[in-house]
Amino acid sequence: MSAATDKFSRLAALKPSRPAPVRPAAIRKPGEEDALGRLLGAGVATNHFGEHLAIRNWFSTPEFADPSSTTIELLSRTRDESLSRKTRAALQNPEEWLFLDTETTGLAGGTGTYAFLIGLAWWDAGGLQVEQFFMRDFAEEHSLLLELSQRVAERPVLVTFNGKSFDWPLLENRFTMTRSIAVPKLAAHLDLLHPARALWKLRLGSVRLVELERRVLDAPRLGWHRENDVASALIPQFYFDYLRGGPAAPLAGVVRHNQMDLRGLAALFGKINALLSEASSTTNEIESLDLFGLSRFLQRRGEDDRAHFACMQALELGLPQEFRPKARRELALMFKRRGEHGRAVEIWLETVADPHNGIHACEQLAIYYERRAKDLAKAGQFAKLAVATLRRQRANSSDPLLTSRLEQKFLHRLARLQHLMRINDGLARPLALSRSSGESQA
Amino acid sequence: MPESLAVRRAETSHAITRVHEVLDALAARDHKGEILTAIRHFPSREPQWADFPAWVHPELSSAYAAKGIRRLYTHQASAAEAVHAGKNVVIVTPTASGKTLCYNMPVLNAVLENSGSRALYLFPTKALAQDQLAELHDLNRRLEDRFGVFTYDGDTPADARKSIREKGHIVLTNPDMLHAGILPHHTRWTRLFENLRYIVLDELHTYRGVFGSHLCNVLRRLRRIARFYGRDPQFICCSATIANPGDLAERLLESEVEVLGANGAPAAEKTFVFYNPPVVNRALGIRRSYINESSRVAQEFLKHDLQTIVFANSRLQTEILLTYLQQANPHLPGKPETIRGYRGGYLPNERREIERGLRDGIIRGVVSTSALELGIDVGSLDTVVMAGYPGTIAATWQRAGRAGRRSGSSCAVLVASSSPLDQFIVRHPDYFFGNTPEHAFIQPDNLEILINHLKCAAFELPIAPSENFGDVDLPDLCARLAEAGYLHLAGENYHWTHEAYPADTISLRSVSSDNFVIVDVTGAPTVIGEVDFPSALVFLHEKAIYIHGGQQHHVEHLDFKERKAYVKRVDVDYYTDAVRYTQVRVLEIAATQRNSASSVVKHKELPLIPSRPSSSSASSTSLTSSFSHGDVLVRSQVVGFKKIKFFTNENIGDGKLELPENEMHTTAYWITLERSLLESLSFTVSERQSGMFGLLHALESVATLLLMCDRRDLGTAIGERPPAPDSGSAAVGAQHLSRPCRDAALLHGTIENFTASRMEDAISHNPKEFFEPNLYLFDAYPGGIGFSEPLFRTHATLVQKTRELIAACPCEQGCPSCVGPAGDLAPRAKEAALAILDRLCA
Repeated sequence: MSAATDKFSRLAALKPSRPAPVRPAAIRKPGEEDALGRLLGAGVATNHFGEHLAIRNWFSTPEFADPSSTTIELLSRTRDESLSRKTRAALQNPEEWLFLDTETTGLAGGTGTYAFLIGLAWWDAGGLQVEQFFMRDFAEEHSLLLELSQRVAERPVLVTFNGKSFDWPLLENRFTMTRSIAVPKLAAHLDLLHPARALWKLRLGSVRLVELERRVLDAPRLGWHRENDVASALIPQFYFDYLRGGPAAPLAGVVRHNQMDLRGLAALFGKINALLSEASSTTNEIESLDLFGLSRFLQRRGEDDRAHFACMQALELGLPQEFRPKARRELALMFKRRGEHGRAVEIWLETVADPHNGIHACEQLAIYYERRAKDLAKAGQFAKLAVATLRRQRANSSDPLLTSRLEQKFLHRLARLQHLMRINDGLARPLALSRSSGESQA
Repeated sequence: MPESLAVRRAETSHAITRVHEVLDALAARDHKGEILTAIRHFPSREPQWADFPAWVHPELSSAYAAKGIRRLYTHQASAAEAVHAGKNVVIVTPTASGKTLCYNMPVLNAVLENSGSRALYLFPTKALAQDQLAELHDLNRRLEDRFGVFTYDGDTPADARKSIREKGHIVLTNPDMLHAGILPHHTRWTRLFENLRYIVLDELHTYRGVFGSHLCNVLRRLRRIARFYGRDPQFICCSATIANPGDLAERLLESEVEVLGANGAPAAEKTFVFYNPPVVNRALGIRRSYINESSRVAQEFLKHDLQTIVFANSRLQTEILLTYLQQANPHLPGKPETIRGYRGGYLPNERREIERGLRDGIIRGVVSTSALELGIDVGSLDTVVMAGYPGTIAATWQRAGRAGRRSGSSCAVLVASSSPLDQFIVRHPDYFFGNTPEHAFIQPDNLEILINHLKCAAFELPIAPSENFGDVDLPDLCARLAEAGYLHLAGENYHWTHEAYPADTISLRSVSSDNFVIVDVTGAPTVIGEVDFPSALVFLHEKAIYIHGGQQHHVEHLDFKERKAYVKRVDVDYYTDAVRYTQVRVLEIAATQRNSASSVVKHKELPLIPSRPSSSSASSTSLTSSFSHGDVLVRSQVVGFKKIKFFTNENIGDGKLELPENEMHTTAYWITLERSLLESLSFTVSERQSGMFGLLHALESVATLLLMCDRRDLGTAIGERPPAPDSGSAAVGAQHLSRPCRDAALLHGTIENFTASRMEDAISHNPKEFFEPNLYLFDAYPGGIGFSEPLFRTHATLVQKTRELIAACPCEQGCPSCVGPAGDLAPRAKEAALAILDRLCA
């Protein structure tokens, strides 16, 4: 063994990237060079930067979902009023919408992560037109990006799932790296991850697109199936293998996977559109938990009336046991904001013994009796109740520090109430009798 | 105003008297003149002024004027001119000479002239960046907040990052953040890179060894990205005084750099004192504890109401000294504590409060680690006491620079420990006070380091094999990386083809990130620390006593696969010392030189190993030795351990261990003692052996001094020179490994009888071979970190200084300060070492 080979074989930095051999198990045969194109019915697209593969398919499902004005209004609302106005204007014309989803060489981001497959879709003839660009090698990236920039120029309203934090910044990086193709300007970017999370996280736990398809979009009924769908985690390696002369078949799977994601994305919009547009009377078909999700989504957008109504409906339809306390707590707060204090108090009184919401209820009641009902003694009782509950809980609390901090807060409140009562006693002894009689009645 | 000035003047004159009182008191105790080995007075120096250059924007000069700066020191002006002329510069000036102006002024001037200009400042630590931020904010306020200046590091909140990328004219960061947070995301920083005009590297001398080798590669990546955005930024560097600031800068930047060394800043009168604790046992060379002595000296200053900073070399020592001084100065009820500690573990707010207290004078004494050594602004104090030599001359001057009120006398005292380095310094004051011999070295082409950065570079921008990236065969390395699955050639460029983000797994402060985690399982398992792989074998083997934070732990189990050591707290009266065997095998000789021979023999022109001396060359006329450097394979194995009782140092038991062998390819410098030289020595075999070990111990100490490195950065071993190969060069030493030799580096230079007896075995089996031993000093990092070649070049100095170290040591038969503790060596070891050195110097 010569010293030179010795030297390299010992370098940790040169240890193979995977325990398995880096050369793919099966090697593409010479005739198989364009197998991917044939497998997918793809054509070679050419522009002045070079070539790449382009694949076009039209699907009858999902059907075109005409965005209602309510939907547009709700989805475009942000804290920045002028931005909201701009987004709202851009969203008006669905012909300018472009659904986008990419397949990449990793999830890490940064300048060394590539989007090797860019999937685009738009509403067409009542269904969905899907177009995908695939780079057979890194040298084709520029022509791929040029194509993308032209599509975005035609349809500058982007609709994605997690595209705001992943796909689009990554593509922006790619454009910047070319130093010759400008980052295309977007009129608006609608990322459906955020509304989807607000609406369905409660019910599904996770809001991965596949999960949404199965349990929200009811994919099997639509005749969709993701049989032999590739696992997302394997996608980068399939591509690396392909680059090194590995088989094309796994990538055909990746292309189909991307198609499904695009159709899922468009269908998801349809679902959200339906949910947000629906008049409040026709909610029968919606699951109670989704109604509660809708309520929270609407609350966050400042749609108090609809939020309040959806929450009541959810409770009426019957929520699973673990969500009831949360929904009631929010409903009570909504009543309070609407000035319906009596109905809020009703809910709080019912929940003072609740292990999760009891403390919150006590606090709200203490505030209510102090500020609204001007019944300091009653307010004091609820503060005392909270202190007693907290002391009981402290022993087996998962966060003793928080428990004791809360306790301090109530002790503080109690002290203040007692102080006020002493002052009031001094000032208005004659009234004391009548107040104590009012107390017994509550 | 005049009144307060008068008061202050009275105070300062008192300060001078008080400093002299203390010095007199110290001198009075030094009957034999052995304690205060040097007292040097440095007279005050007047400032040398220059005007602001004409090109400085008027608003900038008035902003400086508003701060009280109406003129420049000469070195500031010449630095500014050189930068203005477009040169890369390195400014070498001592502490508190106004170096930040040297880079802030040209940078701000550029921003005022073109608001698009951008600059990147790199500081070795986050704390230093914070400190500079305050200074820049102050200037910015005076310039109506015209420029954006931000720190960008791990603590920067995510929501602030976007605006920093857009609006920061000056971004202050550290190499680690640049490496993992900025370069891999350069597309987010287009504003900065497209307009990048200046890069400031402060504390340049800290970028040496492993850290410097990494930084050089980070800068390669940085320049590569700047080129991508069409920029070729100019570098402004600042360094403490070292022997080769220009070389270091040129090596790091890989382009021409102008060195600016003159200093026009004023300096106060200062006294520098070397204090060697008195000897209590002359035969064994044992001195009084330097920690106690440091506390005593500091207390003397504090008693005279002189504001004092005490530097210790570890956190533990900081705490001990703090305890001593707080006990001696109990704080009065209701009054704030006047003696404080300052070190890394303290919270930022607490640190700011201490810094303020020092500036206000409320705090009279502070005990600090190196944390206060670099540019943190605490104002100037009266006196500095250093408990132990800080390790480099540059750091010693930086610490000493903490004392020096503009208008008064100040004093710095270096209290030496008994380590060889400390002893060498205090006994050779001229070495310290003369021109600094300290060189900073890097080895950016260490393959392990370079390839890791090559991966990062490929992630950042596809790599063309025709690019320049260090002095390596780039097409070959790219092909190897492609073979290993990291890169893929498409068109003309190699692209990154891995899901992982390479910068994440590469730390700039070590060669590899293979660390062991220490888990304390006394109670609920908690992680108490982390050590690197080679140290784990030595300190965390089963049954070892591992000391962490002053607490002893017994190692219950060392889990090799999971890289975990499980320990339990114990309280025992012994510690353990690992017995390690190290074999060094020469793979390739880069250069060899016969002692005092006329020319360096380039290896390629000759057979690998010079042929064995024939009888004629062994004649008494040439007592031959040679020295070489090259690639070696170091194999080491911990084979056992000893239990050693505290205080008495008795060996109270030992154990065998079966740990895997650790193999490392690195570079080494070595001295070969040929047979004729050894035969000329009138010593017994074992005395000769001991002499060689003692010599190596001392060589290592002096080498760390010359290289500005830590003892841990070098390994030592003795092995016989392999016999000359029968034919061809490939077979060198393949079947002739060196005899087991002990490694002195991690054993604190002690030599066990155990090992010595094994050595005798080796000799009796093969006496002939052992007569031509190699004394190795190898880089303790895979691939080498650039120490071997400089050691080879400075061989003469190294040997000369080693001889001075041993010759000047007052001990009788060796002590830890020269050849190692006497008890571990044969009686005449020190003599033998000197005899060998005499022949090496001849």
